Amino acid sequence: MAYIIEIFIVLEVSYCLLKEGKRLKNFEEKMNLFKNNKVVNWHEHVWFKPGTKELNEEGCDKLVETASQVYMDYLVCSLPIPGGMPGPDDIRLCNDTVAKAMKRYPKMIKGMAFINPGYTREALDEIDRCINELGMLGIKLYNHYFASDPIVRPIIEKCIDLDIPMLYHAGKLTVHPESQPFLSNGVHFAKAAKEYPEAVIIHGHIGGGGDWHWSLKAMSDCPNVFTDISGSVHDAGIIETTYKMMGADRMLFATDGTFSTGIGKLLGADIPDSDKVKILNNSRFAKYLERGN
Amino acid sequence: MFIDVNTYIGHWPFRQVGNNTAEELVKLMDEEGIDMACVSNINSIFYRNVQDGNEELAEEVKPYNNRLIPFAIINPAYPGWEKDFKRCIDELGMKGLELYPSYHQYSLTDSTAVELLNMAADRNIPVHLPCAIENLRQRHWLDTKEDLSADSVKQVLALCPNTNFIITNGPTHSIASYLQTASVDRQGKVYYDFCRVDMLNSTFDRFVEAVGADRVVFGSVMPLQYLETQFVKLQFSKLGNEDKEKIMYKNLKELLKL
Repeated sequence: MAYIIEIFIVLEVSYCLLKEGKRLKNFEEKMNLFKNNKVVNWHEHVWFKPGTKELNEEGCDKLVETASQVYMDYLVCSLPIPGGMPGPDDIRLCNDTVAKAMKRYPKMIKGMAFINPGYTREALDEIDRCINELGMLGIKLYNHYFASDPIVRPIIEKCIDLDIPMLYHAGKLTVHPESQPFLSNGVHFAKAAKEYPEAVIIHGHIGGGGDWHWSLKAMSDCPNVFTDISGSVHDAGIIETTYKMMGADRMLFATDGTFSTGIGKLLGADIPDSDKVKILNNSRFAKYLERGN
Repeated sequence: MFIDVNTYIGHWPFRQVGNNTAEELVKLMDEEGIDMACVSNINSIFYRNVQDGNEELAEEVKPYNNRLIPFAIINPAYPGWEKDFKRCIDELGMKGLELYPSYHQYSLTDSTAVELLNMAADRNIPVHLPCAIENLRQRHWLDTKEDLSADSVKQVLALCPNTNFIITNGPTHSIASYLQTASVDRQGKVYYDFCRVDMLNSTFDRFVEAVGADRVVFGSVMPLQYLETQFVKLQFSKLGNEDKEKIMYKNLKELLKL
């Protein structure tokens, strides 16, 4: 009897190992999409070391280490100050810190210049400095003004002149919207995009929290609005719906601090692999990336 | 082998979700390599009478009783909850209890809830407490506006010292830290999933080290969320195989006596 039980246990364990092997192989196969293609992460951040105004080098190193582990080739990083009304000096410090990260990892880290449109002249000068002197690829705007606010117009015009993209923090919060009263959503992007059809506007993190259907419906008809797929929200269907409404040509791979959701939702989405490859390295943005090299 | 602690069948009223029948869920599990899954019926959250949803669940999972492990959703603020609980556990053979205080508008510390949690301990079945179903920031205007209160969990850990709890789909790394002191010196155990714990900065590995691999379980929220998000953490984790196996299935196998 004991002999029969032993055989049964061996068979059960073998079955489990076989199943496990099959699954790991499947997932490894899915990860080949990252391993075998160029991967550009268009929305990441480096930060100050807590309590200082210095680059958090350890955090930066860990970011690059994890990104390398999951086969990312480029990390496009910024250092924004959420909320408040950061002044020109604070903003220069943020961008200088990103420049330090770019120097630390010149092959992998590219920069996006954090800009506050509230200080028009200084903001325009800072864009020039970051693009022409520090070699950044574009600008990053946060939640200080809606994308459609007239105060943002000179910034958009400057980006058109320089032919650089704008990455805009975004979301349609349905709970506690008062926490970010000037947070742009798809409606604001559509308005700005229609006013400036030559501008290249990236809606930040479609999965960054908020009603993503709202924003997709609002901006789906604006060909100059793109979205990155980052954010901690990984609702089944978010990628398929974005793909259906915007198309792979208007989607950019990104993680914004949550690698597992950025990677997982792209791998899990029911869309053709060829379009996943497009999203991982959107060719429409190749020229911006080349300028940073 | 994988056992998933957090899956659903039923209609989610706030956006279109596919693969939400038992048959489709099992097909999805086959595609993704999930061997068994604890499952509850979303309809029980939205029906006034939760028991109708539990009866639907029992019927739907019958052809898949070697794959799907039904969990009963009980509303202790509604008449007949004791009868519902006994019917689900004693007659329908459900293996766990699942509670949604914010949807059913009661507190875990209410006397009937505490009584229910202690009844679960008496029958030695675990209590699954999902922190949320969908992310708070995107909730539909008719949906709840709050997640599971970690403070109320802390209180019931003391009020129900013999009950085993499974906390999922929330910031379990910070909840575990908050409940650390309250979790010791209890007969019952507290398990956590890692559904919303990221891999960056080794957060997932550090979470497992802090909580202990014996207390972490795999939960995906299928079919409402992508499964690959969870696989990627395990795939790139530096944890040893023994710890990974505990997380993937061994802990739940032991807890649910499978």
